[in-house]
Amino acid sequence: MPHDWVKSALRLMNAMAGKTKKVDRVPYFALINEQMLCRVAGVTVKEMLSSPEIYAKAVIGSYEFLEADTIQIPTSYAGPGEALAFAESNDKLDTIRWYDYKPLSIIQGAVCKNEEDIDKLEIPDHSKSSIWKVSTEAANIVNEKTKFPQMFGLGIWSVVQELRGVQAFKDMRKNPELLLKLCEKVYESQLDVFKFWTEKVGFSPMIMLTGYSFNKHMMSFDDAMKFEGQFIKRLQEKTKVPFIFHNCGTSPYFMEACKEIEFAAVNGSHPLDLDYWIKFKESYPNVTIMGANIDVSREMLTGTPQDVEEKVRDNIIALAPGGRYVCSPVCCLPWGVPLGNIMAIPRALEKYGQYPLKIQ
Amino acid sequence: MSEKDNLTNLINVIVDGDEIQASSIAKKALDSGLDYKAILNEGIIKACEEIGQLYEKEEYFLADMLISADALKAAMKVLKPAMEQASEKSPGKILIGTVEGDVHDIGKSLVTSLLQGQGYDVIDLGSEVPPETFAQKALEDNPDIIGLSGLLTVSISKMRETIALLKEKRIDSKIIIGGGVVSKAACVLIGADDCAKDGWEGVKKINRIISSKGGGVV
Repeated sequence: MPHDWVKSALRLMNAMAGKTKKVDRVPYFALINEQMLCRVAGVTVKEMLSSPEIYAKAVIGSYEFLEADTIQIPTSYAGPGEALAFAESNDKLDTIRWYDYKPLSIIQGAVCKNEEDIDKLEIPDHSKSSIWKVSTEAANIVNEKTKFPQMFGLGIWSVVQELRGVQAFKDMRKNPELLLKLCEKVYESQLDVFKFWTEKVGFSPMIMLTGYSFNKHMMSFDDAMKFEGQFIKRLQEKTKVPFIFHNCGTSPYFMEACKEIEFAAVNGSHPLDLDYWIKFKESYPNVTIMGANIDVSREMLTGTPQDVEEKVRDNIIALAPGGRYVCSPVCCLPWGVPLGNIMAIPRALEKYGQYPLKIQ
Repeated sequence: MSEKDNLTNLINVIVDGDEIQASSIAKKALDSGLDYKAILNEGIIKACEEIGQLYEKEEYFLADMLISADALKAAMKVLKPAMEQASEKSPGKILIGTVEGDVHDIGKSLVTSLLQGQGYDVIDLGSEVPPETFAQKALEDNPDIIGLSGLLTVSISKMRETIALLKEKRIDSKIIIGGGVVSKAACVLIGADDCAKDGWEGVKKINRIISSKGGGVV
């Protein structure tokens, strides 16, 4: 039976609005990157990015294969796609590393080695960026074929770290003004992404925000607010689109961040303690939890389909009542995760996630 | 200034991340006739411990650790000639790198700096290191410990491949995997000896392994 993407979109929308009477079951938000697309579609990254048609076909085929309720173009966020856009606009393509079956990457810190590099850093014109062009064209094809509104991603710190590398952390103490100058330029580039995407694909119903600085292993909460949070607030003011706050780190500041910044949803796997997420739901009843404690490097990688199923069931019991819960393993499903474990998620959602919920 | 004051000052400037002062005070201490072993054990190593304690108390974060590690290295650089003259052996040899396909090197850089700052012989292979390079360097240098670092979820499979090759080549160095992506379960699955979720935990575990082998600094 063909995948009903309109039904998926409504399932997601109503679950996020807490309208459980209009939702048949808990939605499934799958995060997959180029690695999984290549695995399912049988193409290399370069082949996939060579044509929006091939790219869109790989995306649709992969998300339908995974029986997900969301579908999106993986390069259209403040990760490798932005790295390539900056490398192109600053004549530093030699800093980019391509792989056959994995997302491209940039040598961290190679674009902004010194103060002069930051001063002269050219903000990408995304309409001229090869990867953003193919991503938006592929998004339009996906949109047309599925009618599922296409979403893109923004972020500040992920790009700062790609451009400045380890020196960004030293700048925080030794030259914070210089670091803020770089953050400002990245902010400008994110506004350009928004403008370009909106022109080419249309209004995004939500924006996936990678807030990687909001992690205790990276920095204090105050520093996260200073070097990323304030820019996120400004992005929200400019875009006026609800943000999904993604952080796949092991010590994220979800609770703290939601006190300062308004998010429609949070997407993370840590803390692993389900009680944290129950408290989160109590504290922020209007913020959708996308994920909770299903982690791709733990039970998804090393467990059995039964382990995954039990984890999904526990999440449903704890977080699905009243809606505003979307099941999601976090972060991107990597190549080494057994297929049986991946498919255990939609199976468990069919089994336990039907509204009205039967399990307690 | 007394010997104790000199060492206290050295600890303070290292903890504060002042590279220039760390180098200058270490030099003054050495010039005043203080034994390099005293400077190392009562100054540099104590500073490293204090940095770790501040991190564990969440008073220090990655940025503070990195600049303190630079100060640690600056002080160590001053001691190096005296240590070499006395034929002082390094407490241990560590081979470290970020696995192939992953360019993230911040955690690895922190571990490298903190270990070098404690006098370890660290061979840093950089990032994106293929399994064959790890194996070749391990055969050449016979390290006590091999550290495989990675941040991306995709790195676990490359760590597994690297460890399989190291075992195939009968390299018996202890293997520690590190990074936000690792877990105890993944560690067991891919055959590593231990894992560390962040740089400081990595340093502590390396110190523990080395001291259990009769070397080390703590």
